[in-house]
Amino acid sequence: MSDLIRELGFLARDRAAQVWLLIAFAAASFAVIFGLQEVAAQRDTIDRLKVADAIEREVAVEEYSDWGSAGYYTFHLTYDAPSEFTFAALGQRDTAPWKHRIRMLALEGQIYETDAPNPDFALIGRFDYAFVVAILAPLFLILLLHDLRAGEKANGRFELLEATNSGIWRTRATLRLAAVALVLLAPLWMAGLVSGAAALQIGVASAAVLFHLVFWWAVIAWINARGWTAPVNLTSLFGIWLALAIVAPAGIKMAVDTAITVPEGGDIVLTQREAVNDAWDLPVSATMEPFLERHPDWADYATIEGTFEWKWYYAFQQVGDQTVEPLSEAYRDGRKQRDALAAALSWLSPPAKVERVFQSIAGTDTTASEDYENRVRAFHAELREYYYPLLFPDAPYTDEMVSRRPSYAP
Amino acid sequence: MTNATLIAREEWRLWLRSKVAIIAFLIVSLIIAATSILNAGRMADERAERIHQQEVAEETFLSQPDRHPHRMVHYGHYVFRAPPPLALFDPGVDAVTGQSIFLEGHRQNTAMFADVRASANLGSFEGITPAFVYQLLVPLLLIALGHGVFVREREARMLAPLLAQGISGQSLYFGKFLALAGLTAALLLPLLILVAVTSALGESLLMGLSVTLGYVVYLLVWCALIVLVSALSTSRGLALGLLVFVWLIWALIVPRLAVASASAAVSVPGKLETDFQMYADIRELGDGHNAADPAFAKLRANLLAQYDVDTIEELPVNFRGVVAQTSEADLTKLMNEYADRRMGVEQSQSLHVNQYGWLSPVIAISAASRHLSGTDLMTHHRFLREAETVRFDFVQGLNKSHVEKLSYVDDINRNQGEEANRRARISADNWNVLDAFEFAPSAANERATRASLPALMLSVWLLGLLTLGTALSARLKP
Repeated sequence: MSDLIRELGFLARDRAAQVWLLIAFAAASFAVIFGLQEVAAQRDTIDRLKVADAIEREVAVEEYSDWGSAGYYTFHLTYDAPSEFTFAALGQRDTAPWKHRIRMLALEGQIYETDAPNPDFALIGRFDYAFVVAILAPLFLILLLHDLRAGEKANGRFELLEATNSGIWRTRATLRLAAVALVLLAPLWMAGLVSGAAALQIGVASAAVLFHLVFWWAVIAWINARGWTAPVNLTSLFGIWLALAIVAPAGIKMAVDTAITVPEGGDIVLTQREAVNDAWDLPVSATMEPFLERHPDWADYATIEGTFEWKWYYAFQQVGDQTVEPLSEAYRDGRKQRDALAAALSWLSPPAKVERVFQSIAGTDTTASEDYENRVRAFHAELREYYYPLLFPDAPYTDEMVSRRPSYAP
Repeated sequence: MTNATLIAREEWRLWLRSKVAIIAFLIVSLIIAATSILNAGRMADERAERIHQQEVAEETFLSQPDRHPHRMVHYGHYVFRAPPPLALFDPGVDAVTGQSIFLEGHRQNTAMFADVRASANLGSFEGITPAFVYQLLVPLLLIALGHGVFVREREARMLAPLLAQGISGQSLYFGKFLALAGLTAALLLPLLILVAVTSALGESLLMGLSVTLGYVVYLLVWCALIVLVSALSTSRGLALGLLVFVWLIWALIVPRLAVASASAAVSVPGKLETDFQMYADIRELGDGHNAADPAFAKLRANLLAQYDVDTIEELPVNFRGVVAQTSEADLTKLMNEYADRRMGVEQSQSLHVNQYGWLSPVIAISAASRHLSGTDLMTHHRFLREAETVRFDFVQGLNKSHVEKLSYVDDINRNQGEEANRRARISADNWNVLDAFEFAPSAANERATRASLPALMLSVWLLGLLTLGTALSARLKP
């Protein structure tokens, strides 16, 4: 106990250590503040979009008087609202869509559209809490701990301290580790309270932070035990950080992307377009037969008179999606497999693992963006189920039916 | 031989004798070589693939059968953005922006299929490019090898005898600076090889050399700083700590703070959001599919007067085609206004980020590098604009055929049975309105102009640090 108090006194007088702790605290605080701001901005955007979408839908209802045109011209807003923990890891939200407008046409032609922010942002990266914990925190810890023994050695006190109190290193290192953990975690807890994140989310995230810090603490202890001078320690530790935080993730990414091939996205939309456009020139049966395989209920209404009917038009939109289904599924499967392999291999890079854990708690990882895509697909299917019973028997266009049109609920 | 070169030679001799220095140098060289080869291979494949996809897309369009011209407007076309040769060194925004756009009538679609969406997710630093290695890792190597150049002499109590022998503090400073600069030159060799490769791929050699020059100045900024800090520090540990601190701030913290600052200072409503406003404007323009839309009444009256006839059936041109043509032109003007505004705001965001180059040379070099390589935001915007030109030209070309080659009567009767439907088609020869699309890098002088501000920043950094170093080393104390 007296050791601890004495070491606290040392820490209180160690200018360099205080500067590093202050910087760590400032970094973590800024990160959560930026994160909270960004999440608030995204929520505002979604609110504004909902209002604008409702107004536009009203206009569309007034303007059209048949189901075919209504389906063709009415867009539907879908969105993926940020979670209460998104502030800590913005993750894929800079590159993957979280807002989308779709209509009754073939989905595969629409779903890959992305309304992404400035690409320079995604390129440079966000200053979010996950970045601070995964990338910066190990450096703070290294800078605080690399000269514990070497520093005393340089000052000629090492032998004396070692002889009189050999446990001193552990006390000193543990104290500094605790200090780093505290300055990093306090802003997270505060922000968690502000945004209303679940205790479990904060708990798991805090545990991830602690595990990560302890891992680096062990690495530093191992290097410190070599008995090298402080500059050599620092250089070696920076080398290890470089290998684990930068080289390993890049290597893993390259390996995963090479090992698992994913169909070219361009091929999906091209195939889909060919299928939809060819249908105009093909006999009606070429569209209606594959359509009726999926929707046998409409067999009695599937005769097309003349050269254009909306139900035929929507049927070949659907058949376009059906044609490209294997490719589209392979694309999604490939992404899923890549993510699974990356998850397994990311154990080789603790910083990458920490970011992945944060993104998964925050709902900003690959799985979350796939979930959103699936929700959009489900909603589109719902729209079809709403329109088909109106289009095929040629139901009258009534306000009552219009009011029953599904709208996206996350 | 001057004192400075002698001092530099001595420093080199020390490095060559130090196992740690040689290993560190070899590791970084290996990383540079590996990323250069892997990245160059990948980007060269991407380039070939996208150029091929472009050719296929054009062939597919041209080989479409006889059709109603408006069907081809909706059939649409694809354009692909081939990366410029210098993307082998710095792919820039290539991975985070979509590389293909679907072009069709009445709509401006967004670019689809950014690489990052389909590839494995490993957090903040997942793609190492040669440019990234030069921007972030080479300075770390210089710090590791160079932090002791001066302070080592002080720790060994050699400074006093050296100064007493009549070697000025300034020639010591320049000697040490020269030693580190020599190291930098050795590290830049792989970059020169890449520049030679890109020049073989058709890039202007001058641009390649400008990129190299940019990195020379950038790395010399680090050399000047390292020698300066080393000269002022009392111990190696302190010098290393300070330099690592600066690296952390410049390389990891300031760039991301700049992004946060830009996104707070300049807000860009997403395309989805501005689309709502745009669609409201579009509704006022009238639906180009519906020639009976009251919005086109005036157009009809004018045409009837111009040709001195009473009904649109009597017009020598297809009124539906004229409506399609006019509404596409009006619509495009409107869409371009929105697109231009959006791109303008995005560029001011990027300029805002670049201003932080006055705080961190890492931002200045990464901006200069992207501008010169032709992989910056502006190049992506130019791709969007060129794609739009292709779109407008082929759509209007098809609309022109619609006006001139298809009679109005055949057109309105197109849904009256098979035979009528066939009459409402025009020959596939008319699809030739599509121009071949090849996305080329911006002109060299244009890229140089864009890079001039970051280049100025780097020069100011270098001159400032060297002046400071000269001034302080003149009053060097042992």
